[in-house]
Amino acid sequence: MVPSTYDGVAAVLAVLALLTEFAMLRAPMLRSQVRLYAFQSLVVTGLAAYVAASRHIDELYVLAALSLVLKVVIVPALILRLLRDADTDLAGSSVLGVASAILIALVVAAFGFFAVGSMHVNSSSLPTSSLAIACAIVLVAFVLIILRSDVVSQAIGFFSLENGVSVASLVVASGLPLIVDIAFLFDLLVAVVVFGVIMRVHHARNATLSTSDFDRLRG
Amino acid sequence: MSTLVIMLVCLPFATALVTWVAPVRFSQYLTMIVATATFSVALILLPRTSHEIVTAGSPLRVDALSQVFLLVVTFLYMTTSIFAKGYLSLGEGAKAHRYGRRFYAGFNLFCWTLIVVPLVNGLALLWVAIEITTVISALLVAIDDTEGASEAAWKYVLLASLGLGIALFGTIMMYYAGTRLHGASYSLSYTTLLSGAAHYDPKVVRFAFGLAVLGYGTKMGLFPVHTWLPDAHSEAPTPVSALLSGALLAVSFYAILRFFQIAVLSLGPSFPRSVLLIFGVATLLLAALYLLSQRDMKRLLAYSSVEHMGILAIGMSFSATIAVVGVLLQVLAHAAAKSTAFFGVGSVVRKFGTKDMTKIRGGVGALPWSGPMLVLAVLALSAMPPFGIFRSEFDIVYGGLSQPRDVIVAIFVVLVIVAFFGLSWFTTETMLSEDPSASLFSGGVIVVNKGEVSNWIVASMIVGLVALLILGVHPPTPLVHLLDRAAAELRGSR
Amino acid sequence: MGSEIVSPYGVQAIQVLTILLGAPLVSGVIAHAEGRLQGRRGPRILQPYYDIAKFFSKETLVTNDSSWVFLAGPIVAFACYLTVPLLIPVLTTFPLPLGFSGDILGGGFILALAGFSIALSGAESGAPYAQLGSSRAMTFGALIEPTILFVIFAVALITHTDLPYALSATIRSSTSQMVRPSHVLAVVAFFLVVLVDTGRIPVETHSGTLEFGMIDEARTLEHSGPPLALLKWGSTMKQLILYTILINVFLAPWGLASTGKWSSVLLAVVALLGKAIALGLVFAIIDNSFSKLRLFKITEFIASAFLLAVLSVLVFYVGGG
Repeated sequence: MVPSTYDGVAAVLAVLALLTEFAMLRAPMLRSQVRLYAFQSLVVTGLAAYVAASRHIDELYVLAALSLVLKVVIVPALILRLLRDADTDLAGSSVLGVASAILIALVVAAFGFFAVGSMHVNSSSLPTSSLAIACAIVLVAFVLIILRSDVVSQAIGFFSLENGVSVASLVVASGLPLIVDIAFLFDLLVAVVVFGVIMRVHHARNATLSTSDFDRLRG
Repeated sequence: MSTLVIMLVCLPFATALVTWVAPVRFSQYLTMIVATATFSVALILLPRTSHEIVTAGSPLRVDALSQVFLLVVTFLYMTTSIFAKGYLSLGEGAKAHRYGRRFYAGFNLFCWTLIVVPLVNGLALLWVAIEITTVISALLVAIDDTEGASEAAWKYVLLASLGLGIALFGTIMMYYAGTRLHGASYSLSYTTLLSGAAHYDPKVVRFAFGLAVLGYGTKMGLFPVHTWLPDAHSEAPTPVSALLSGALLAVSFYAILRFFQIAVLSLGPSFPRSVLLIFGVATLLLAALYLLSQRDMKRLLAYSSVEHMGILAIGMSFSATIAVVGVLLQVLAHAAAKSTAFFGVGSVVRKFGTKDMTKIRGGVGALPWSGPMLVLAVLALSAMPPFGIFRSEFDIVYGGLSQPRDVIVAIFVVLVIVAFFGLSWFTTETMLSEDPSASLFSGGVIVVNKGEVSNWIVASMIVGLVALLILGVHPPTPLVHLLDRAAAELRGSR
Repeated sequence: MGSEIVSPYGVQAIQVLTILLGAPLVSGVIAHAEGRLQGRRGPRILQPYYDIAKFFSKETLVTNDSSWVFLAGPIVAFACYLTVPLLIPVLTTFPLPLGFSGDILGGGFILALAGFSIALSGAESGAPYAQLGSSRAMTFGALIEPTILFVIFAVALITHTDLPYALSATIRSSTSQMVRPSHVLAVVAFFLVVLVDTGRIPVETHSGTLEFGMIDEARTLEHSGPPLALLKWGSTMKQLILYTILINVFLAPWGLASTGKWSSVLLAVVALLGKAIALGLVFAIIDNSFSKLRLFKITEFIASAFLLAVLSVLVFYVGGG
């Protein structure tokens, strides 16, 4: 069974988003982390536009435009501004080496692949593999958050998890009413602002972006 | 009736806007008045919603299940606004003024989001509303600007957002489950979903339900994703802790119940029940053990919340109707008892200036009104008659025995008793020990004068205890009807 | 003469000759282009031929402690490099008689045997740097091996066979095959493998003289005379073989001869060398745009290649593509 060209291109875009997620795992600088996120959002936006163009779902154009403005421009700009003010650029050290982190993420991603693959989802808008890839993006984002110990990487992990969910929604819910999509994006914006505020509070208090001193509260 | 529903949505939001600009003293009274008004509106709605579904346009819909949670949230809005008046001792000066403005605007906004959650119609809007509760409450957790607060706020906002990311995935999968029946584009309203759920692809619904329980379970405090909960509850200002524990956890449970409702129609009851049972038993076990080793008063109450969430999950896993009624009653009673306990702890903390239980002795002597009432609230939390939680847990156990699921009921009872020991140690050591010098840790005990911190706190606690007594001794007939109908909705009838 | 048919065995011989004689040319062009990119005039394009000829006329020096392995290694390796072109589609779209004597895995084994015999020969010299190079080459060779295996798995899954000719034919059959995600991932993974195996930046500076950073290059430090000529020649052939696999099996299997006519076979020779040089220029540009990785960071690089290869297989299993 050979997938059509449309399916192939769409899946390649989805895979690109997944690879960006892996690249975040190894990016040592916070700035490059943010840029990778912007790139990933761009890929996801491109995927939305591609689906819109090929499947003639006009609402997705609006969604793509909004996510372009929000996820490619505003969110990275906000975080980069925070980084400029914070004046630190090195990400918190990862608990594991890069090679082992990638291997763990690979195992986790494989789990996601087969978990979703066993459901035999059929989608009219995108090939099924994209859903599996979306699931893998979500899981690798978890690995990123667990392994990194600084607030920026963790926040980026959450935002990229949202990207993964966006890919999933393109696959299985491309007909989702526009108003709901916009509500989701608006929510993301609010979340970014709140993340930013709390990051600033943390930095103002402790003069660091690292989470390594988050060990007072336990038990 | 739909005007009333719209009023419920608009009033707190408008109040939040007003309190952002108004003087703090004015805001305090305004908030109390508005909160009481919303609770009254919820009470007025009660007789109607226990018979039919009230809608206001397509985005708002109140059925019996929503009404239960609406009562919880509005009741807490009212009592907490009274408590906050007594708890916040705002000094003079620009800084205190700014703090008060922020607090009241955030408080009202938080309550607004909590009220909106049970009112909205549809899983998508539900997710949006719950996400907003997260971000607003995270800001409220961080408002004290201490090191602990910023740590707790970060853990909370990150974990809760991750959980909600999972829940969003679950929501989307549920949407996908419906596309075959309802076409590619439809709104995720409960009406649509409940009417079609029986024909959805079970595999997809199962996946969606699992994701939703894990995702919303993070906010509800289910093991193993409860880790943010004790931190956030202990570091937030006490009025916020009370809301987090009584209302936020409850509305997260509400979200799970909505998925449960659909999953039962689609999959039959056995799968959703087993999922909740596993999470519930693990949660209850963890909480019961942690309750035995707490030194921080607010963390103790936080773990007690985790315990009760475990009880709710276990209760839902029993098939008898009376167990489901018990679960819903438990939601109401837990909200009243836990908030009252937090109010009492707030009073103690203000009095002694510490949350460390090894340094507090003779609380009842020092606080002639709120001290004994705190003891009563803690006893109520441990399911002592004649309070509401006794009745609800009795219903749950009774429902479990009638099924029969003896082993699980036995585990349940044992763990609840372990939790009781944890809570009662706290009470006897800190509150009932009269003489500081006779206690085990006489070293760092703080000595204080006798007298109440504030009469407002006492008032808020009285309201809470009266509600608990009513729920325990004789729940009003309309409420009984409401709970019966809500339980019937959860069991698959429309 | 142009329309005369060459016998299949004749074509097979031409394949080997193309690799044998064309390889130094490709290396020469790349070295020249690199020089230009760095603002130098660069060596002559034919320089590798002169080098090889010069080494053949020099005497062979062998240390007292070395055994026959030291001299046999280069010969075995060279023989291996002459064998591989029999198995892969160098010039034709249609399979040649000996093409079935080994699959892509077999080709891989033969290439690995070549690498092994060179490493053995280097280790046999007893010189510290040569031994260091040998052990490093074997270590990284072992690390890159799983990646190669997964690339082969992906290929085998896509084509239901592990014959290079079949994959080449599958790719040519439609554009959908080209944009299949598992194919794209396998291609990129194999591209990284080629970077490692040809000793290019970011893994190794192939033109440097600093022994500490060397991997493959260090193995041959102690050789001289004809064995060195064989090694140099062999390494250019290995490069061209890997390029040929990348081009004719994965990337752009066009311009191959579909019949055995003289004209089309000759055209295919030109096309292959042209494509190999174009690909070589890409490698030259990469060489000039990145810096070498620290030795211990190379595992990261290999891990990313492995990631791509595994994803390629996973994507195939889940999405059929």
